[in-house]
Amino acid sequence: MSAIEWGYSVLPARTMDLDRNDLGPVREMLEEMPQFGACIACGGCTATCTAGNLTSFNFRRVHTLVRRGEYTGAWAEMNKCMLCGKCRLVCPRGINTRGVVRLIKRKLGDY
Amino acid sequence: MVQTFYSGFVIPFIVGTSVLFAVIIYKYVRWMVRLPRRDKLKVWHGLFSVATLKGIWECFTECLLHRRIWRVNPLLGYMHTAFALGWFLLIVVGWVETIAYLGLRFVPLQGHIFFDYFTQDMDHGPRWGINFEVVMDVLLLYVLSGLVLAVFKRFRSRAMGMKRTTKLTLGDRVAMTSLWFVFPMRLLAESFPSQLPLWWGYSIALGVFFVAMPFSRYMHIFTEVPLIFLRRWGITSEAGREKSFDHFQLEACSRCGICIDPCQLQRDAGMRNVQSAYFIRDRRYNRLTRYVADNCLLCGRCQVKCPVGLELDTLRLGSRHSLSGTPSNGRFNYACDVDRSRGEGRVGYFAGCMTLLSPKILRSMERIFTAAGEQVWWADRDGGVCCGRPLKLSGDIEAARDMMRINAELFRNHGITTLVTSCPICLRVFREDYNLDGIEVLHHSEYFVRLLSDGRLTLKPGGTEKMTYHDPCELGRGCGIYDAPREVLQTVGTLVEPAETRDEALCCGSSLANMAVENSSQVAIAQAVGRAFEATGAGEIVTACPLCKKAIARGTSLPVMDLAEVIEQHLA
Repeated sequence: MSAIEWGYSVLPARTMDLDRNDLGPVREMLEEMPQFGACIACGGCTATCTAGNLTSFNFRRVHTLVRRGEYTGAWAEMNKCMLCGKCRLVCPRGINTRGVVRLIKRKLGDY
Repeated sequence: MVQTFYSGFVIPFIVGTSVLFAVIIYKYVRWMVRLPRRDKLKVWHGLFSVATLKGIWECFTECLLHRRIWRVNPLLGYMHTAFALGWFLLIVVGWVETIAYLGLRFVPLQGHIFFDYFTQDMDHGPRWGINFEVVMDVLLLYVLSGLVLAVFKRFRSRAMGMKRTTKLTLGDRVAMTSLWFVFPMRLLAESFPSQLPLWWGYSIALGVFFVAMPFSRYMHIFTEVPLIFLRRWGITSEAGREKSFDHFQLEACSRCGICIDPCQLQRDAGMRNVQSAYFIRDRRYNRLTRYVADNCLLCGRCQVKCPVGLELDTLRLGSRHSLSGTPSNGRFNYACDVDRSRGEGRVGYFAGCMTLLSPKILRSMERIFTAAGEQVWWADRDGGVCCGRPLKLSGDIEAARDMMRINAELFRNHGITTLVTSCPICLRVFREDYNLDGIEVLHHSEYFVRLLSDGRLTLKPGGTEKMTYHDPCELGRGCGIYDAPREVLQTVGTLVEPAETRDEALCCGSSLANMAVENSSQVAIAQAVGRAFEATGAGEIVTACPLCKKAIARGTSLPVMDLAEVIEQHLA
């Protein structure tokens, strides 16, 4: 069947199975840094992000995935962060976002 | 007795002294051997230079007279000088006394220390026209007056200029208690030289102190001397790694606690275990936690006060590197070809992340450039790569260097000769870590001064409105720029200074250097800073750092402005 180029495609189905995901690391993170859980996913951090301005780096996305036990690629993504600190200034929840970045890197470094 | 110089009671003293010197020699030799080659060369080059003479003078003024402690508080200075200079003179004059009475002959160490015991049956009349007994008694009284103050300080440190003192370790307490016993026991023993138990007490106090000394804070007594010389010969600690030289700094710390009072994390946010004295203690005894290493604003307020002149910020950065530094692995390669600059000109302007987050400052800068008729190359107007200082401050120095290289290349590619930045954080890293030969780096305050003196910018004189100026840490203590912003402000208004200003200026509390502090603590510090500025009666707070501007605004109802905004308002 000759494919028709619609200019867009359909992504394969993707589900997050919270029962299967290993929530151990994220629990550890929440214990070490309870403010990690205060995020309301507003995306302010991502909107101001210096690295996000240059690449597809998206702090909110990675954070949201990590919270649900989806760790694949998180460490590599976090390595793009320049720690400039703008996200911390705009965070309406006053989260130490740079601390979160480093926490994710430290806990998921070998995941 | 003069013949043998031996009695049972000298054993604790001999044992203590032997342990003390064995440990000290072992430590110093080990640290010296482990110095990197470059540092060893510096030692050889410096040994026979003026630096050594200057070092000897500094040893006299700092190890004996303690001028830097006198500056903190005269009573505190007197106390420490009484101990150091008093004890030193007791030893030196005691030595002379031995020669005066026994002639030039070998006298074992205990013969000098317990001179009054071994020469009981001698005539102690004046020799060489000097009444040694009186001189020695006066010196001992001098030390004892210091001791009285030291005991008093344990209960009322506030009266001696210290609101808080250091929490001591067990080893410190043992050493301190035995030290406190040394001098009263000496007085008693010398007053009743025939009473053997008193001599035993004196000897035991000395012995215990000497054994505890190299493992306690009193290691600073000897270690400050090599530290002074090594520093004079040009050896420094490095932010990017822990060095053997660091040991000299760590063990030269007396945990006097002078660094505790200036710490805003202590006085405004109630943190009691992260100050430099505790950081150095933890690192020295190998129990440094990431929390302590990370929880510091690196504002430099304690470093200004440190009586030993330790590189507190650099030491902490070294520890952060060891605890959290990760290899660069080219992780910022994505930023290599980024060039979103625009405009043409020999003068470049680097806004930096924080200015990009403060559009008002950016707009003011643009208007000022236009008013001065400057052709500007905008390095990062539409987003760019961070200067690298935040990463360096977090301990990731290798990755930070990648960023520095990327930015330096960008500047060179556009052939600028002057680089202006409105962010002191960027300014400091440009000046300290970048290799920008041929490009003059200016903070916008310095640039404004230049524009004004060249007559390229004219400002309307302001009204009677009073304004106060906040010295950003990175600009003031970091780059030594205090006068340029004040000079500019004085042309447009009346400047009033807060109680703590210039090199004692407060930190805004949101310093990028602190990787661990919580939001509530940052706000508490900002509020304290706000109160300090409100007390000046000024109508507005001016600063020269976009981060300070945002941080202070969280703690005060007064308007907080950047220098550039003030200038823009007064453009003629």
